[in-house]
Amino acid sequence: MRRTAGVAAASAAVLLAAGCGGGGPSGSGDSKLTDDKIVLGVLNDQSGVYADASGKNSVKAVEMAIADFKAKYGDKAVTTNISVESADHQNKPDIANTKAAELYDRKGVDAILDVPTSSAALKVADVAKAKKKLYFNITGATTDLTGKACNKYTFHYAYDTYMLAHGTGTAATQEGAKNWYIVYPDYAFGQDMEKKFSAAVEGAGGKVVAKDATPFPNDNFSTFLLKAPTLNPKPDTLGTMQAGGDLVNLVKQYNEFKLRDKGVGLAVGLMFLTDIHSLTPAALAGTTYTDAWYWNFDKQNREWADRFLKETGTRPTFAHAANYSAATQYLEAAQSAGTDDADTVVKELEGKEINDVFLRNGKIRAEDHRVLHDAYLAQVKPQAEVTEDWDYVKVVKTIPAAEAFASPSAECKM
Amino acid sequence: MTTAVESEPGAKPGPARSGLVAVSRAPWWVRYALLVAGLAVALWLPNGLYPAVAVDILCWALLAVSVDLLLGFTGLMSFGHAAFWGTSAYLAGIAAIKAGLPFPVAVLTGALGAAVIALPIGYLAVKRTGIYFAMVTLAFAQMIYYVANKWGSVTGGENGLQAVPRELGGLDLSDEYYFYYAALPIALLGLWAAWRIVNSPFGRVLVGIRDNPARARALGYPVHRYKLTAFVLSAFLAGLGGGLFAMGHQFVSLDVLHWTTSGKAVIVVVLGGIGTLWGGVLGAALLVRLEDWLSFSGFEQIGLVTGTIFVLAVLLFRRGIWGTAVDLVRRWQARRGRTED
Repeated sequence: MRRTAGVAAASAAVLLAAGCGGGGPSGSGDSKLTDDKIVLGVLNDQSGVYADASGKNSVKAVEMAIADFKAKYGDKAVTTNISVESADHQNKPDIANTKAAELYDRKGVDAILDVPTSSAALKVADVAKAKKKLYFNITGATTDLTGKACNKYTFHYAYDTYMLAHGTGTAATQEGAKNWYIVYPDYAFGQDMEKKFSAAVEGAGGKVVAKDATPFPNDNFSTFLLKAPTLNPKPDTLGTMQAGGDLVNLVKQYNEFKLRDKGVGLAVGLMFLTDIHSLTPAALAGTTYTDAWYWNFDKQNREWADRFLKETGTRPTFAHAANYSAATQYLEAAQSAGTDDADTVVKELEGKEINDVFLRNGKIRAEDHRVLHDAYLAQVKPQAEVTEDWDYVKVVKTIPAAEAFASPSAECKM
Repeated sequence: MTTAVESEPGAKPGPARSGLVAVSRAPWWVRYALLVAGLAVALWLPNGLYPAVAVDILCWALLAVSVDLLLGFTGLMSFGHAAFWGTSAYLAGIAAIKAGLPFPVAVLTGALGAAVIALPIGYLAVKRTGIYFAMVTLAFAQMIYYVANKWGSVTGGENGLQAVPRELGGLDLSDEYYFYYAALPIALLGLWAAWRIVNSPFGRVLVGIRDNPARARALGYPVHRYKLTAFVLSAFLAGLGGGLFAMGHQFVSLDVLHWTTSGKAVIVVVLGGIGTLWGGVLGAALLVRLEDWLSFSGFEQIGLVTGTIFVLAVLLFRRGIWGTAVDLVRRWQARRGRTED
């Protein structure tokens, strides 16, 4: 009796296994997917300094993109089996390396998105090249992604050090900031920013009175801040290339020393909306910086930001919008190509001109896979003008896509 | 573990000693069974785990064993082993990129380089003990970190060295699975060397120095020279791990020199069991696997989990996992011995 039951169980198991193997989700008849499904992978920092600026809410943004795509195409979609995988790289390039390979190999991911921290961002570009799968970098800043580390499968989507430095440096100088004192953290990002920033300021007719490297990380900037008003000629703007925790420290001390009252304005290299939120707009009032996107810029942005607020409880940073946009554009490309085959999708994307909620006058440059789009010079509002939570800045100037980014680097060999 | 270290009457019994004695008391067949089981697990590992994670475990195991060699067997708590792990990673990376050396040669170059810089650092550090030794090693590690950060033309600064080639006589090692088996012999050689050092007459002098440096000196042993030798050997082993790490990930970044790397090595050793040698290997496997699992778990506070585990290990398993296990077995044996009598 027991033996019969055993045989029955065994054959049931075999049948079940066969059923699973044979059946499975059947895509539409003419679909040429490599594996029945499309999986997007968000690899970013979910526990450290970039967790607020991007982090888990970027996963939500990608989920929104998938839902919108499904709603748009319904049964005509290249596949309805689309999902998101995510992993936390903790800003460590070794973990990013392992996770990226694992996402591509084991989780069947067709495209990896996000990846903050330059060293991790560059490493994942290597992995994407080796695995021949797509990679949209959103939150990495280094121009090496479209320079010596560029490759066929890597797209640099949202911003880079050139955009930040030239945006703020050129535009702020044209807006009246003539004499600059620049402080920058002494590591690759800061050094790179300082060079590009100084070039931009001088190119626009401004003068860099002095520049100083600060230790990194650092919590005491008093030496540099006290020096600022004593320089000759006296600088009218302090350009800081600090980011994250260093920026928070510097801004707090800038306010302690009341430098704004002494006629030294503040311009910031890289800042996220979440940084302003945690520092409070009062601490940053009047500060100019370059933003890749702002949620309350126009009606289209605002509508999307309202949906995002409903999903997550916060307003989106440019990183969230860019993740949404990159996921959407990948899916659109796969849709029109009718496949998720990486080489075909890359061909579909190259040279494409796009206008969506994130990309304005957007174009995917074929030579180096830099995604060009309008950028914005933003200024933090004084506290009195802040009438709505998260609406902290006004866009002073739109930097046209053609000027926002550098021309293709000679170092890039696809 | 064939030699018994006799406990001196009157000396304070440390957790390390009990582990050492217990294993050496185990019958030969238990030791061989453990060895065979360990090798079997090592050979099976990339089939059960993601291969890149398995390679990481090998590297961290080497680092943990190197730290334990000092902490558990010489009584020196190094808080700067990232210096040797990282220096070797950079040297191996540069050797592979610039000179195109096959990967085992590059790793060896890195490890030798780590041993060379350990000489002056060790010379100065071993003159101190306890917290001062830890601080001196930390200080040197930080110095090397800043040199690597500043020397961007060689080290790539914060962006690190990318696309480190992994060559071995025309073999295709781009797949992590095959690379694991190529790296395994190097790691096993390193572990064997550590075991050999601990169980040599030299190793016994080290334990003697750990327990009672004054007596060791009175017996005529040049204590500083022994400590320095142990320090350099330990740096070499750490370098072996660091070089493999660079080859495994095919890049080197500043993280390899960061003090958190030194800290993680100490955590791994404490978790596995100080002075047990193999405890470090076990600790490395558990911590690397745990971090890997956590980064996919969607749980936001990874540091909280590893931190809690560390606190629990220190509070509840002060001898570490391996030490506690050995201790339990020993108690069980003692009880059985009593009932048989």
